[in-house]
Amino acid sequence: MTTTSATLNKKARWPIFIALLLLAASVIYPFFFLITSSLRPKLDYLENPLGLPGEWTFDNFIALWTRYGAGQGFMNSLFVVVTAVAIELVLATLAGYALAKYPVPGSKFITASFVSVMLIPSQVLILPIYLMLSQFRLVGDFSGLILVYVATGLPFSVFFLSVTFRSIPNEVLEAAKLDGAGFFRTLWSVVSPMGVAGIATLAVLQFLGKWNELLFAVILLPDNSKRLLTPALAQIGDKFLNEQPLVSAGLLLTASVPLLLLAVASQYIMRGLAVGVSR
Amino acid sequence: MTSVSSTPLVAGAAEAAPAAGGPRKPGALNRRGRIIGLAAVLPALVVVLGFMIYPVLFALFISFNNSNGRSFKWVGLDNYVRILTDPLVHGVFLTNLKFLISVPLVIFVSIIVSVLLFERVRGWKFFRFIYFLPNVLSAVVIGIMFKQIFGYYGVVNEIVAALGGERIQFFTTGNLAIAVIITALVWSGFGYQSLLLLSGLTSIDPAVFEAAALDGAGWWKRLWYITLPNIRRVLGFVFIINVLYTFTSLFGFIYVMTAGGPGYDTTTVDYLVFLKAFDTGNKGPGAALAVLLFLFIGLLTVLQNKVFRVSEED
Repeated sequence: MTTTSATLNKKARWPIFIALLLLAASVIYPFFFLITSSLRPKLDYLENPLGLPGEWTFDNFIALWTRYGAGQGFMNSLFVVVTAVAIELVLATLAGYALAKYPVPGSKFITASFVSVMLIPSQVLILPIYLMLSQFRLVGDFSGLILVYVATGLPFSVFFLSVTFRSIPNEVLEAAKLDGAGFFRTLWSVVSPMGVAGIATLAVLQFLGKWNELLFAVILLPDNSKRLLTPALAQIGDKFLNEQPLVSAGLLLTASVPLLLLAVASQYIMRGLAVGVSR
Repeated sequence: MTSVSSTPLVAGAAEAAPAAGGPRKPGALNRRGRIIGLAAVLPALVVVLGFMIYPVLFALFISFNNSNGRSFKWVGLDNYVRILTDPLVHGVFLTNLKFLISVPLVIFVSIIVSVLLFERVRGWKFFRFIYFLPNVLSAVVIGIMFKQIFGYYGVVNEIVAALGGERIQFFTTGNLAIAVIITALVWSGFGYQSLLLLSGLTSIDPAVFEAAALDGAGWWKRLWYITLPNIRRVLGFVFIINVLYTFTSLFGFIYVMTAGGPGYDTTTVDYLVFLKAFDTGNKGPGAALAVLLFLFIGLLTVLQNKVFRVSEED
């Protein structure tokens, strides 16, 4: 298809362009507002909330990072999410490759159960998982939450990667085998490089999902010292709602990582979301 | 294993070439392959069994008991009876139904946006990117943002005040708070969904449009009789994910925006599951409610599959 469709005449294009522009402005404006209000002192904000700052400052971010626990939360989030995504990718790559290319006994049943557990909403899991983890004394410990994040992400990851790896031609794998490469060697130097786009897509999607997760993070890490960023922000937003500049800084800090990811990996994110439709 | 590619029968080579996909053909190494394959699937399988399937069964078990989480006393279906006859649960379910207003709204906006983007006006890729932005943010970020915007000293009230109006308390009335949350849902959801619809539009055969244009059908006529019917499968999908979303994913919004209040006026089913799991001594009824929610979602998904089958056949 060419870049322009022949369905509308030229004159009709201007109103459409303007409508789309207005809509884009309504999406962008809140971000613009957050940026300007986070960069000014509270008094300056109260004088003229809708205008531009009369005085620019980074104090809100500094206070937020050091005194309101957001710095600690940011680091905690980064640690938990990166660890969970890494473990999940390793397990999902192993399982996805085996399901795609090996005669795993009961593979139809295994795939079907992975697909059907994707439906389980986290509300159903939260009480039993809390009780289980508290029995192992893992509530309030990063490892408990990491385990839960790995488990809840795996069904989709395995499904996604088995679809990705299935498109690798069998001849390539046979060739690797003739060269004497075993399971791990083939997986590491043939399958992973060929499926790298799929793996990257999955990594980005899973990172976003876990970074933004609230329910498990609130319940499984109740101590303030171990709080992740998203629940920490929820707390700050609740306690200091009238400190708009501070809360704006918190919102921007929490949103910064997903937005940065979108900026550098938008093609992966869009690709991954398209898979969601076909399943 | 024999080399597959060394014996092509020239004429039918293209057809005979092994299709990429599916397990390798059975051979002498099959047994070894099965063991390696199973060993590779096992870690993921164990984690999912232990932390997804077992917990669901555990939740099911708790729902048939009176329990404080440690000791269990079998009470059969009592908890289900209690949940299904609880006026609070009825009220919360009705509140959830109010949130369904967001479904036609967001679909309406998404259709308009996707149809306009489909016209490929200047900068449509840029617009697509912008509309998609809210989709990577968490419900917490979006929720607090909207709580600020609609707060007593927020942007909306500043404009109202500047125009000489009374400042509005959006979060002290249940229905107003719901309206704000619905606005947040539409704002954050339309981008992704118009992308889904756009991919549906792109897969329509352009010849169909050309034929209709030759027949003298105007833009509106084509929209109504050709464009929309051709994407009804994607529309059905978008409809169902929105409905599922209203029953399972409002937790973050409610948690940061209203905490279910005033009273229980903005409490949704998924938020009530959370409250019941951690606020009361007896975990049984909460587990029963969670199981019911799960069943309801399963039912909707089965329904979705049925609807899709039907529309694929015709």
